Amino acid sequence: MTDESEATAGVEKLSLQPEKLNETVKIDILLNAAGNAPIMKQRKWTVDWMKDISWVSKFIHKYLKLDPEEKIFLYINQTFAPSPDQILKNLYECYGNQNKLSLHYSINQAWG
Amino acid sequence: MANDREVLKEVWDGKIPTKFIVDSEDIEVEAYFLLLPRVSYLSLVIEKIRKHFQRYIEKEDEIWFSYNNSIPLKFHIPIGVLYDLTGSEHPLPWQINVHFNKFPEDCLFKFPNKDVIESFFMNCLKEADFLKHKGQIVSQMQKKEHKQLFLGLQNDKFDQFWAVNRRLMESIEQENCFKYIPLRCYTDDCYSYSQKLICPLSEKGQRKTLKDLLKELSTPTLEAIGAKTHGVEVPLDAELQWLSETLSYPDNFLHLCLIYK
Repeated sequence: MTDESEATAGVEKLSLQPEKLNETVKIDILLNAAGNAPIMKQRKWTVDWMKDISWVSKFIHKYLKLDPEEKIFLYINQTFAPSPDQILKNLYECYGNQNKLSLHYSINQAWG
Repeated sequence: MANDREVLKEVWDGKIPTKFIVDSEDIEVEAYFLLLPRVSYLSLVIEKIRKHFQRYIEKEDEIWFSYNNSIPLKFHIPIGVLYDLTGSEHPLPWQINVHFNKFPEDCLFKFPNKDVIESFFMNCLKEADFLKHKGQIVSQMQKKEHKQLFLGLQNDKFDQFWAVNRRLMESIEQENCFKYIPLRCYTDDCYSYSQKLICPLSEKGQRKTLKDLLKELSTPTLEAIGAKTHGVEVPLDAELQWLSETLSYPDNFLHLCLIYK
């Protein structure tokens, strides 16, 4: 993960060369706390779009310094939880909005 | 709503003769044969397999499966898709290796009990409904109807499943089709699939066919020329809306294995 400065470059690449799958493309993700999950100070992150959902939950887990037994649940559109091996690219292509993919995280199951 | 009941039944009844084997240098382990429903998940048949191999395993061992001792088989991808991706070029029965240790945690996710696969399955349905009807149908259903969908799949009850699922297959009223087609396209690289927003209608309002879809999915360097699902190659002129209503797996997604030039 890097900070927000790389965001624009990533999006440009995305629209120009979608066929070059091996090239690292970065997208912006927005991480929103749901329920009584602790809030992250930095919500917006620029990440490699080939990373999967389990990677994102591990990242949040580490960032929030949660106890090992606490679990992160991630949701799209506050509706469904994507599979742990779903890659961000697929979610971005279907549910991305204004060049961002918005995800909600909770410590308990929120939208079952 | 899909009226092609015979096609639905045919898809539901698809089975793969499978031989489960254990590689062991120390003891001879008897193979286990099973007809696996294409539309089901390995998580839902694992108990039968565990029972057969019980005497060879310690209590805490975690069972997992691989094809050809090389490709771990995912618990949450429908069995029919696993077969079409790995074994379909070899003569039947499909041979699966059973492992009792060294669970590959880096590439396989554990589905320790039925609740976990049920929750995964329900989330697939919610996602599919979000694409088709903005999620309005699943959210209007009662808890027991959600349960009925999963129990129908788990217990191989076609009528029980379809009594509820037909509502998820209804078109949006004015459009006579879905908003988007829930679709996962598998490439040659095992398991990696792409998912895109695919509209069932063209800009001119005409119903799109598989041929149109393949064109959308092709890139200058990689041209998709066909697609396989449930073990059959789909005719190029089949309409996407019809395919979605009749050839989707119970998770309400079309799982297409793409064939490239």
